[in-house]
Amino acid sequence: MTSLADPLRLGLLTARNRIVFGPHETNLGRRRAISERHVAYYRARAAGGAGLVVTEEASVDGSDWPYERAPLAAECEAGWGEVAAACHAEGALVIAAIGHSGGQGSSAYHQQALLGPSSVPDVVTREIPKAMEAADVEAIVGAFARAAASAVAAGADGVEVSAGQWSLLRQFVSSLTNRRDDRYGADHLLLVEETLASVRAAIPGAVVGLRASCDELAPWAGIVPETAAKHLVRLASYPRGPLFDYVTVVRGSGYATWATRPDAHTPAAFNAELAASIRGALPASVAVVCQGSLVEIDEAEALLSAGKADAVEMTRAQIADPELASKIVSGRRDRVRPCVLCNQLCQVRDVRNPIVACIGEPRSGHETTDPDPLALAAPPAPSVRSAPAAKAVIVVGAGPAGLECARVLAHQAREVVLFEREDSLGGMVTRAAARVPGRERLASLVGWLENECRLAGVTIVSGHELTLEELDMHDGPVVCCTGSRPGRRQYEVVAPGAAVMAADLLAAERLPGAGGPGPAVVWDPAGGPVGVGVAELLAALGDRVVLATPDFVAGAELARSGDLVPANTRLARAGVEVARHSVVRGVDGSGVTVEDRFSGSRQVIAGAVLVDAGYRLPEDSLARALAASLPPGSVQLAGDVVAPRTIHEAILEGRRAALRLAGAR
Amino acid sequence: MTSSLRYPLLFSPIRIGPVTLRNRLVFSAHLTNYAEDGLPTAQHAAYYAARAAGGAGLIITEEHSTHATDWPYEKLIHGYQPAVLPGYRRITAAVHRHGTPIFAQINHNGGQASGMYTRLPVWAPSAVADPLFREVPHAVDEAEIEEIVAGYATVARHCKEGGFDGIELQCSHSSIVRGFLSPATNLRTDRYGGSLEGRARLLLELLQTVREAIGPELAVGVRLCGDELIEGGITIDEAVGVAEMVERQGCADYVNTSIGVATATLYMIEASMHVPPGYASFIPSAMREAVRLPVVGVGRFKDPLQAERALAEGHCDLVGVVRGQIADADFTRKARAGRAESIRLCLSCNQECVGRMGLNRWLGCIENPLTGRESAPLPSAPAEPPAAPSAPATAPAPPARAAPGALRGTRRLVVVGAGPAGLQAAIAAASRGCQVTVLERTGETGGCIRLAARVPNRAEIGDLVRNQLRECAELGVEIELGLEADLEEVLSRKPDAVIVATGSRPAVPPWAAAVPPGKVVDVRAVLEGTAEPSGEVLLVDELGFHQATSVAELLADRGASVEIVTPGMVVGQDLGITLDLEGFMMRSAAKRIACSTDRVVMGVDASGVTLLHHPTGVEETRRVDWIVLAVAPEPEDALYRALKEAAPVCSLQRVGDCVAPRRAHAAVIEGARAGGTV
Repeated sequence: MTSLADPLRLGLLTARNRIVFGPHETNLGRRRAISERHVAYYRARAAGGAGLVVTEEASVDGSDWPYERAPLAAECEAGWGEVAAACHAEGALVIAAIGHSGGQGSSAYHQQALLGPSSVPDVVTREIPKAMEAADVEAIVGAFARAAASAVAAGADGVEVSAGQWSLLRQFVSSLTNRRDDRYGADHLLLVEETLASVRAAIPGAVVGLRASCDELAPWAGIVPETAAKHLVRLASYPRGPLFDYVTVVRGSGYATWATRPDAHTPAAFNAELAASIRGALPASVAVVCQGSLVEIDEAEALLSAGKADAVEMTRAQIADPELASKIVSGRRDRVRPCVLCNQLCQVRDVRNPIVACIGEPRSGHETTDPDPLALAAPPAPSVRSAPAAKAVIVVGAGPAGLECARVLAHQAREVVLFEREDSLGGMVTRAAARVPGRERLASLVGWLENECRLAGVTIVSGHELTLEELDMHDGPVVCCTGSRPGRRQYEVVAPGAAVMAADLLAAERLPGAGGPGPAVVWDPAGGPVGVGVAELLAALGDRVVLATPDFVAGAELARSGDLVPANTRLARAGVEVARHSVVRGVDGSGVTVEDRFSGSRQVIAGAVLVDAGYRLPEDSLARALAASLPPGSVQLAGDVVAPRTIHEAILEGRRAALRLAGAR
Repeated sequence: MTSSLRYPLLFSPIRIGPVTLRNRLVFSAHLTNYAEDGLPTAQHAAYYAARAAGGAGLIITEEHSTHATDWPYEKLIHGYQPAVLPGYRRITAAVHRHGTPIFAQINHNGGQASGMYTRLPVWAPSAVADPLFREVPHAVDEAEIEEIVAGYATVARHCKEGGFDGIELQCSHSSIVRGFLSPATNLRTDRYGGSLEGRARLLLELLQTVREAIGPELAVGVRLCGDELIEGGITIDEAVGVAEMVERQGCADYVNTSIGVATATLYMIEASMHVPPGYASFIPSAMREAVRLPVVGVGRFKDPLQAERALAEGHCDLVGVVRGQIADADFTRKARAGRAESIRLCLSCNQECVGRMGLNRWLGCIENPLTGRESAPLPSAPAEPPAAPSAPATAPAPPARAAPGALRGTRRLVVVGAGPAGLQAAIAAASRGCQVTVLERTGETGGCIRLAARVPNRAEIGDLVRNQLRECAELGVEIELGLEADLEEVLSRKPDAVIVATGSRPAVPPWAAAVPPGKVVDVRAVLEGTAEPSGEVLLVDELGFHQATSVAELLADRGASVEIVTPGMVVGQDLGITLDLEGFMMRSAAKRIACSTDRVVMGVDASGVTLLHHPTGVEETRRVDWIVLAVAPEPEDALYRALKEAAPVCSLQRVGDCVAPRRAHAAVIEGARAGGTV
C-alpha cells in the first residue's frame, strides 16, 4: 500500500514523498518577478519536508497579466533559480507553474484586449476577449515552450502547464468558450496537445506536469469527467510517449470559480472520486495528483492507499503548518497545526494585493520579516550580568490570543499561568465562531493551541475569573487577552421587542424570550461569516428569517474567502430573505423595522426578534484597571481587547506579546 | 477675446500666506496610486509637472501619511519615512521648473483604514468601525495622540526639506482629524471629545505643531468637510465653526473644502455627470462669509467659465479643478490663451480615474491616453502592441500628440469607422503628419458614444466625441460620413495604411432568435429611435454597466413599466466603480424600476418569458410587451478579415470594438497606439 511518505516517480525524477505544495497566488512578487519573499516562503515548505514545491503560476507572455503581481515568465528566471537552489538544498523538487489566463485575465494593467478562443465574455468580469487569430495561437504555443525552457535552465526540475480553472487552455478545451470554426474548433484538445508537445520538446528530460480542470461544473456545455478522462488518455498515449508525467486533477470554470479552492462549507477531499476516475483511466506511466481541500492527513493517506491518486496537493495544510510533511514522515501527526479551510488570508486574488498568510500561522508569507517564534526556543546564553530567572507570566484569557501567547512563552522556557473565566478554552472561537455552520473546523485550531500549551507545560486555570486583588499579588508580567463585549446598538429597542447579540445566540443556540423560534431579522453591518451563518442556523429552525444588510449582497466580505456566491446560494435555498441596502431602525412589539438606504421606504418584519451581528467592543476593564495600578509597560494587550477583530489578529498579537516578553527577559 | 476679458477673476493673482499664485485654478489633492513601496515615483513628478506646464495656479499633491499605523490602500506615500525625500525633491523641482507652487497634503486616515498592510490595530478617536473598511479601531489614548501629532511634525519637516511651498492638512473626507471632528465617529468623553471645541482640539494642536515645525516661510492650510452626508455627521454650521476656530488660531493661511466621507458617501465627493457642476459650492460660500482666509471651492467644475462664475458669485477665492486637468493637462493654459474651446473637457464619467483608484490601479483617463503615462518613454513604433511593459504602473505608452516620431513624407491613412477608436487613431496619426481620411458608414460620428449620450443626464459622455472632433478639425483630418467602406472602396483610395475601427453589432442570444422579430430589441435600437418599447418592458442585462440602467430610466421616464433582470448578483454592478450606483438606486426607486438579480432567460413563448432563478432552480414567468437586450455585442470584423485576405498591399491594424467589444477607454487607447505606429 502506498503511503504519503513513499517516494514518487515523476518521469526521470523522484520526489522524496507524495506531499505536494501546489501552485497558488501569493502576491509575494516584486512587480512581476519571483522575489526573495517567494524564496523564503517556498524554502520553509521544502525545509518542512514537502516532496514537490510548485511555484506560483507565471504568465507565459505579456499578453497575460491576470493580477498586478502575477509572475511573468520573462522576469522569473532569476527567481526560479533561487527557489530551485533553496528548495533543492532542503531536498524538495521544484516545478515552475506556467500558464495563460486567456479571457479570465485582466486588461487593467496592460490595457490590451484579452485573448480567448472566441468572443465569449467571461462570466465573472463580462469582458469580451479577442478571438485569437492563427498567429496569436502560434505565439502562445511558442511562449509556453520558451517559458518552460527558461524555468528549467534556471534550475527547476520541470514545469506544470495550466489547463486548470483560470486558463486559456481550458477555454480552448471547453465548449462554453470555444466556438471556433478552424482546426482548434474542430479539435478542442488540439491546443493543449500542441502546447504540451512543444513544452516537452523544449525541456527534454525534465518533468512536465499538467493541471487540468476535469469537471467544469457546467454540464450543459462544459468539460465533464468522462470527456476529461478521454482527453487525458489521448495526451498520455501520444505516439512519442506521454505528453505529461503527472496530472493534477482540479475542477471549476468561469461559472464556478469558487469551486476550485472552496472554504470549509465544501466537504474536504471533494475531488477524491474525480481523481479516482482519472487515475482509473490513465496508464500507470503517468501520476495523478489529487487536489481539493486535502487537509486531513488520514484522508490523504486513504486516497493513496486506495489507489485513487498517486500524490496529494496539501497546499493550504502547508500554509498552516510549513512542517506538515516532516511531521507526517516522522510520526508527529498529532502536532500538525490544522488548516481550518477558512480561506481568510491565504486566498489572495484581490485587487488590494494582500500577501498570502494564515490565521493560525501568521508568519506564513512573512518569512522574511517575522521571526520563527519557536526558533528562539533554546534559552539564550547567560549575559555578562547573571540574569535572575525570568519571572512567571500570567496570561488572562484563553482565547486564541492568550493561547498563542502562552504557547510561545512556554517554548521560551518561561513559566506561564493561563487563566480563563469560562470552563472551556478558546474564547469567542469556541463559544461562537465555530458554531457557525461551515466554520466548525475553527475549533480544531484552538484545540491544537490548547494541546500545544499543555505539552509545553503551561499551567491552565479555567473556570476562574481573575481579580485585580489576585493580580496584585503577582510579581511578573501580565498579558491581557480578555476579548470583547457586545457593541453599541444603533437602533431602538422597545419592549416587548427583543434584540440579542449574535455571539450570545450562538453560545446559547436558541432565541431568547419566546418559547420557540419565531421570525427573526439578522442585522449584519459587517458582512462577514457570522451574519450569514446565524441566518442559516435560524432558517434551519423553520421560521421566517430576514437578513438585513447595508450592502447589495449578503455577506459582502466573503468575496475574499470565495464563499460569497455559495453563501448567497445557500441563503436563497434556505428561504432566507435578504433585505439589501438596508438598515435596521428598531425593534418593538410589532416587529423589526428595516429601512432601505436609498428609497427610505420602511418595512416592519412582524413579530420578529432582532439578532445583531454587528461590531463588538473591547472588554478592557481589567486592562484599564491594571494600567492604572501598574508601572507603564508591564501589561501587554493582545487580540480583541485591543480592538475586536478576527482570529488572525488575536494570534498575531498574542505571539508578538510573547516575543516582546521573551526579548525583555 | 483675451483671457483677461473672458476670465478676469480666474487669472488674477492671489496670496496664500507667504505664497503668491498667478491664477485661481488649483490642481487639488487626489489619489493617483503612482507610489511604489511607499515612496513617490518619477511618474508623480511627471504627472504634476505636466499640470504645472499646463498653467495650474497651484498644485496640491496626494496625501502623505504621517504614521505607521496608517496604511489604508496599498500605494500610499509614507511621508513619515525619511526615504521620501529624494522623491519629494524630484516632484518639487519638476513643478517649480514651470514657476508653479506646490503644496503637500499630509494626513492620517484614522479609522478609515484596515490593518491589512500594517498588521497593526487601526487608530481612531473611538471604537467605531468604518462602513467600508469594517474593522473596529483602537480608541487612541493621550500618549498615542501625542504620537500622531509628532508624526505630523515629522512629515511637515520632510515636506519643507523636500522643497514644498506649503502644507495642507486633510481634515475632510478620510482622516483621523475628520474622525475627531465628527460626532458620528468621536464618542469620547475626555477633552478631545464632546463639544465642537473638544472635537476640534486635535486639529488645532496639529496646526500649531505643523506651523512650529516649518516656520513662517511655508503656507499652511486645512481641508474641511462641509457636510459629511451621513447620519450624525458634521454639517455646514459646525464646519463653519471649525473654520472660524482655525482662523482665530492664526496658524493657517487658507481653507480648502470638500463634501462627503470617502468611505460612506464617496459618490458625492467625486460626483459623476449625474450631479450638476458646482453642487458643493454652498460649502465654500458659507465659509467665505465667516472667515477672511482664502477659501477653495471644489465640485465638478469642468470648464473655465463655470470656475469664473463661482468666483464672480463669491462662492470661493480659488477653484479646484482636478478631473478637468486630468483630462487635459493644458486646461489652464488654453483658458488663458482664449482657446477654451480646445480644452479636452472632462466627462465626469469616472471610468478610468476614480474607477481605477478603488481597484488599486494607477490613475488614468478615458479620453487622455497620456494620463498615467507622463513618465513613460515613447515607444519605438512596433507593428503590434508590444507585450507587457517592464514599468510597473504603465502599459505601452501611446505617442505624444506633438510626436517626436513625426513621419518624413506624407502617408495616406484610411481609418474606417468614426467611433472613439477610429477618431483617436486619426488624431494620433494626423499629429505625426499622416494625411488621414476617416470613412463612416452612418451619418454621424461617435459610434456607440453618441447613443450613450442620448439618455437622461448622460449627455456629457458625448463630450468625448466633441473633444475628438475638435482635435480632428485642428489637425485637418477628413471625415466622410454616410459611406459604407467595403474592400474595394478602401483599396480604391490607395492608402499606405488602413486602420479598421468598425465597432460592433448587437448580438441575438439563441433564445431570442426563436422569437418573431419586433418585440425583442437591442438597447441600441431604443437609443437610435428605431424601436419604442412601451407598456411592460423586461430589460435583460448581461453587461452590468450603463447600457441597461440608463435605457431603463429612459423608458421609465416615457411611462413604461420596467424590470431589469440580470444573471449577476447586482443590477448595474459596475456602476459601483464609477460611483453611479447609489444615484441609480435612488432614481430607480423613484421611477419604480424593478431590479431582479440571479436570473437567466431560458426562453420565450406564447405564455411569456421564462426566467430561471439559478441559485434555487426555480422558474418564473413574465408576461411583457417588450424585451430589451443589453447583451454582449459581436465584433464587426468582416472588413478587417477581407482586407487581411486581400494581398497585404498596405499596413493594416484594427482597433476598438471590432477587435473585442469593450468600453470606450480601450477604444481610445488602441486608437492612439495604432495611429501612433502607422
